[in-house]
Amino acid sequence: MLGASGCTAPAGRPAAGRFFTSHEAAVVEAATARIAPGPADDPAEAGHPGAREAGVTGYVDMMLGALGALTGPSPMVFAGGPWSNRHTSGPDPMARFIALDPVTIIAWRKRLDGWRNAYRDGIATLDRLAGGDFTAAAPGEQDKILARQDVSEFTSLLFEHTIEGLYANPEYGGNRGLAGWTDIGFPGDIQPLGYTPGEVERSDGRDPMANAGIVADVLKFLGAV
Amino acid sequence: MGKAVVIGSGAGGSIAAMELARAGWEVVVFEKGPNRFSNIDGEGPIGTTFSNDDLKMGTRNFAGPDPLVFPRTWRPNATVPAQYTGAVNELPQLVGGGTVHWDAKVPRFWDIDFQQLSALGPVPRADMADWPFGYADIAPFYDEVEKLIGVQGDVHAMPAVVLRHAPRTGQFPMPPGPQQRASVAVAAGAAAVGLHAFPFPMAINSQPYNGQRACNDCGFCSGYGCPVMARPAALIPLRLALRTGRVRLVPETMVTKVQLTGSGAAARATGVSWVRMTSGGPVTGAEGADLVVLAASAIETVRLALLSSFPDASGKLGSRLMMHSFVDGTAIFLDERMHAYRGRSTTQCAEDAADPDFPGARAFAKANGLPYIRGGIMELGGSQDVLSEAQAYQTLLRFTRSGKPFGTDFKQLMRSSILRDRLAGCSLVGDDLPYLGHTVTLDPTVKDVFGLPVARITWSAGKYEQVSAQFWIPRIKQMMAKAGAAVAFAVPETINSGGLPTGSHIMGGMMMGANQATSVTDSHGRVHGLDNVYVCDGSVFVTSGAHNPTNTIMAVALRNMRHLLPM
Repeated sequence: MLGASGCTAPAGRPAAGRFFTSHEAAVVEAATARIAPGPADDPAEAGHPGAREAGVTGYVDMMLGALGALTGPSPMVFAGGPWSNRHTSGPDPMARFIALDPVTIIAWRKRLDGWRNAYRDGIATLDRLAGGDFTAAAPGEQDKILARQDVSEFTSLLFEHTIEGLYANPEYGGNRGLAGWTDIGFPGDIQPLGYTPGEVERSDGRDPMANAGIVADVLKFLGAV
Repeated sequence: MGKAVVIGSGAGGSIAAMELARAGWEVVVFEKGPNRFSNIDGEGPIGTTFSNDDLKMGTRNFAGPDPLVFPRTWRPNATVPAQYTGAVNELPQLVGGGTVHWDAKVPRFWDIDFQQLSALGPVPRADMADWPFGYADIAPFYDEVEKLIGVQGDVHAMPAVVLRHAPRTGQFPMPPGPQQRASVAVAAGAAAVGLHAFPFPMAINSQPYNGQRACNDCGFCSGYGCPVMARPAALIPLRLALRTGRVRLVPETMVTKVQLTGSGAAARATGVSWVRMTSGGPVTGAEGADLVVLAASAIETVRLALLSSFPDASGKLGSRLMMHSFVDGTAIFLDERMHAYRGRSTTQCAEDAADPDFPGARAFAKANGLPYIRGGIMELGGSQDVLSEAQAYQTLLRFTRSGKPFGTDFKQLMRSSILRDRLAGCSLVGDDLPYLGHTVTLDPTVKDVFGLPVARITWSAGKYEQVSAQFWIPRIKQMMAKAGAAVAFAVPETINSGGLPTGSHIMGGMMMGANQATSVTDSHGRVHGLDNVYVCDGSVFVTSGAHNPTNTIMAVALRNMRHLLPM
């Protein structure tokens, strides 16, 4: 629905990627869609793209697959700069990834080795807890598995990477069609345009929101601090 | 003139390199991290690959150091082993140092900061002392730094309490830029509770300056490198140094030892050893020098001094480590989006909390068995970026939705943006006293990527810091409520960090002083017992002040070097 360019296959039929097998990609797609659901995953999200639509699986696959390319011309760790020209016209230097210095290569090899192992083991665990195939479990059952304490280390990592795949700059392979930013009304990187003094100083006007549901519960929790 | 080695290219090292080169020295500047800039030694705009990218900066350590190769360890006190290995209050590790990620706030320390012992008296368990110079001595160097790097502010908007404790001879080089909606809203709350907010002095160009652009308020400010180089800071003295033709900048190279010769009064440095990583592994080398300047930031300078077995007659080398004791205040607005993502973060500040005579502070201190308390400067109106916001909800959902801490609840929180677009913050930069038990030592087991022992930090907030926070927390909440917040709360930052020091303000460890029995460096930063070794960073601080430290680091570095090289 937001364009087919990008690293992921259409929803429902994930293909093998840089790192994931096609089954592993399907498990990550199913799990991240429970963490950040879109219209197809939760009726409450009608009109609000989620992990599936933003291409989170492709983001994670691109990141984990960066290991093989760490010493190449453009390992996909640090997007370029100083801007993308997303709000202006011109080339996108952000899409040219930055070469890594030798110490940084050592750090990222270590980091990605750890994450790759965590994904291989974590995906196998989700499958096992679902009786063989996590993707075949009903959504409610998937939620129960993801909420289990004994998989929380992996689901925390999945959640962090879901966040990145939804809301990081799209050059990293997620946030497809700016789905993540659009859903929260965030313009993203704004250089070299910047903001006018008026946009900095003035109120955007009243925008009241209901103190209800999860917002109310979080505010109540914070207010007790 | 001979050859000098400067270790570090940040706030202090850049100033040292500039001064030494101008006086005719050949200078080699070693920088542990990479160079993310182009055209530093040219004319006109400096180039960079910093960008509006919170993944690159906030998560992936683009400004370094990466804790997987350069970790530190932390323990709350010396009776327990280190209980954390990773990033501990890191400063950026790259050309430009801490002036790359800062949001360039440059308030001056007060007169009583430089004479905290004689002006305010002793504090139980703290190693209180005066600096070897007063505000009047350092003030001309503040002036010079402000002109050098470019600072915006308005002397006419500054409240009397600030001008009484940190008098100025004149106006700032540039006028203040646009004031953030969120900052102004919190400033209104500040006024309602008796605080005096004003435009935060900051080293950000509100108009073209030093051949660099004016800020266009992109909002990716605190914690980011500036994509348009509107706050070049250390890169300006570095450019002036390089353009003398006598300075060589060597990035991605870590000095591992200052080579010493002789003993007693004849002890001196002969140069440094270094190591550099290549694709084939580490390569080592050495550089001879007639003068060595340490400017690697408080923690790394101490680590290098320990690795080099510096003399330590006072026993204070590595002790009196100070972090600021931050208190985080939060205001959440349900009627309006405050859009703090636009503009230079926190354009307003208030300094009232640095005043030990603020109404009620003396009585509160006395009731808690202390002679006085001080908070510090308040940064008014900031928020956080999108990835940090999302991570905060990830954590909060575990407390509020333990059965299913994800899903549409998460996405509804993101759309509500109660912790970003509807948030306006207040950071209190709390005075952190010098304690002999707060130290940098070499970790006995953890090594960096080169196999060298890492810095082990021993630090926890003391009673003075905790009592100060308890005095100011209800006042911050009142301020936020008066600003119109539906929900307001404030906590010491260490509550959120599990006790780890936070805030990236690090000072002490190489204390300055006139008496070599009670200090590590002399009144101009020269290491006692080493004729030709100087320190030009925050490690020489005697007290932490109650203000962001970087311009004071630069002013002190300038004073140290100017003394060495009378012009």
